[in-house]
Amino acid sequence: MSTNTVDRQTLSTTRRRRVPTLTQRQGRWGLLFAAPATVQIALWTGLPVLVSIILSFTNYDMLNPPEFLGFDNYVTLANDPVFWKALGNNFIMAIVGIPISILISLALAVMLNQGLRGNSIFRTAVFLPHVTATVAIAMIWLWIYSPGGNGLFNIVLGFFGVPNQAFLASPSQALPSVILVTIWQGIGLKMMIYLASLQGIDQQLYEAADIDGASAVQKFFRITIPMLKPVTFFILVTSIVGNFQTFDLIYNLTNGGPANSTTVITYQIYQTAFQQFRMGLATAQSVVLLIVLVVLTIFSRRITGGKDD
Amino acid sequence: MTDTVLPGTLDASAGTEQGAAERKAAARTAKQANKRSASKKRRISRAALTVLLIVVSFVMALPFVWMFLTSVRSSPEIFSSDMPMWPAEWHWENFTVALERAPFGIYARNSFIIAVVHTISNLVFGSMAGYALAKIRFKGSSVIFGFILASMMIPFYAIVIPEFLMIRFVPFAGGNDLFGQGGTGWYDTWWALLIPGLVSPFNIFLFRQFFISTPTELMEAARIDGASEARTFVQIMAPLIRPGMLTVALLAFEAGWNNFLWPLLVTSSTNLRTIQLGLSVFRQEAGTEFNLLMAGTTMAAVPMIVMFFFFQKQFVNGFVGSGLK
Repeated sequence: MSTNTVDRQTLSTTRRRRVPTLTQRQGRWGLLFAAPATVQIALWTGLPVLVSIILSFTNYDMLNPPEFLGFDNYVTLANDPVFWKALGNNFIMAIVGIPISILISLALAVMLNQGLRGNSIFRTAVFLPHVTATVAIAMIWLWIYSPGGNGLFNIVLGFFGVPNQAFLASPSQALPSVILVTIWQGIGLKMMIYLASLQGIDQQLYEAADIDGASAVQKFFRITIPMLKPVTFFILVTSIVGNFQTFDLIYNLTNGGPANSTTVITYQIYQTAFQQFRMGLATAQSVVLLIVLVVLTIFSRRITGGKDD
Repeated sequence: MTDTVLPGTLDASAGTEQGAAERKAAARTAKQANKRSASKKRRISRAALTVLLIVVSFVMALPFVWMFLTSVRSSPEIFSSDMPMWPAEWHWENFTVALERAPFGIYARNSFIIAVVHTISNLVFGSMAGYALAKIRFKGSSVIFGFILASMMIPFYAIVIPEFLMIRFVPFAGGNDLFGQGGTGWYDTWWALLIPGLVSPFNIFLFRQFFISTPTELMEAARIDGASEARTFVQIMAPLIRPGMLTVALLAFEAGWNNFLWPLLVTSSTNLRTIQLGLSVFRQEAGTEFNLLMAGTTMAAVPMIVMFFFFQKQFVNGFVGSGLK
């Protein structure tokens, strides 16, 4: 700690007992304050990243010592159709689900920004799925999608004369059914972020537009949308990052099935590591996930103009 | 529409003084009529908007309503093919039956302990580190801050395997030797549930942001008055960011209560299961008895919902603030 400033100090205090300067004293306290958290994160985030990368080049089953393999695990992944399927599902969920939920949440935010009575009730209703644990949400939708004719969706469809649907049990309907849940669950947070940034837009812009005789539609497309552009990019990229970390929902709703139709990258990692105990291969999958997400995060920082400093 | 009064039609007596006054009055009434019609239009569109929002809110809340309605249905009703929308009879005993089948009380207690410990540790260690990084100049602070920023980027799922292995091979724990061999380490212990989540880089980052906006003069004044750095922090600076503290507390508590994968991996005994994990296991055990499953789900979901009602504003600010900055 003090060795950092010791050079300057030793020059002037050859004889006197050394009294630490104010900056020195502060510096020690700074390090002391930051140390517990830094050590904790170094141990439980920094170290695991290194271990992950190292293990990804090995064959490791937890019982025998790791065996170095080179890039074999990555070659295996490249030739694994299920892994590609998982990645593909993540991309489909992102490409289909995110734009829909962004549009809905934007529309809701604009409506809620009108200052209607009962605003907080509406906000609560829309935000509730975000607060509730994904496990609980999966249980609720499992029941709503129940194929036996007493699931809510099949009851409603029954009114229109549509026969019972399998939903989560059908390879073609399972992924769309999962995407619907992610949309429902994701609207709340996006809506809140939009609402906050709507309230941050300078009202003078709208007043100036009023004087120029702009219509509500013109104001929306010429002022609101452009002003929301940065936050939309932010929501977009964080949603993509979040989408690649979907796990609880898949685990509890479909277990990746039927026929891998809803498997995702995190579910693959879980299965490979904790059901097949192929830790080396699973860490290689983790590293792929890490790379995808770091690229997306850096991309998001660029777009949002840097999170800080 | 009767609202548009054309100015031209009222111009008959233009020119005289009386006419001017009349014209003024007419203009005034016209203006008022316009205003009235505009507000009428606005009222109609606002009413339409309110109706639309009520519909949307209902759709968003419907799954929860459905969860609750199912939790009080009888078993025969669940399995009948023409199940009524509204339960014919309310079977509150489903909750006690679910509690008998699975110890949701123990699960909830475990989740609560984890959530509280993580909330406190995040507040203490996170605020200390955030304060140091925001307000104290020290060698290495930029390196530490860079490290914290970088670790914010690391997704939990990318490091979950090494974290699990670390838990499993903790030296001298659970029968392990120095090299972590021979036993089970911290597997299926409280340590595994509590230690890795003590502080998150994101919360440190949040605390740093909160402290940056506090006045440095106060800190300097306290120093000049001879207060130690620790005292300055605890008594002067930390109280300044109380709203921020509440935000982090809510985020940490929610994360603790809602966590699923980590408890799933590191525990196996019932008395260490968390509520989300217990719910997931209960689903397999209860099979298709959705009334019991929904009773359990209600018990797992309600604490967070109640908390959200109480701290709605802070919750919203927390989420928005955390995402936007």
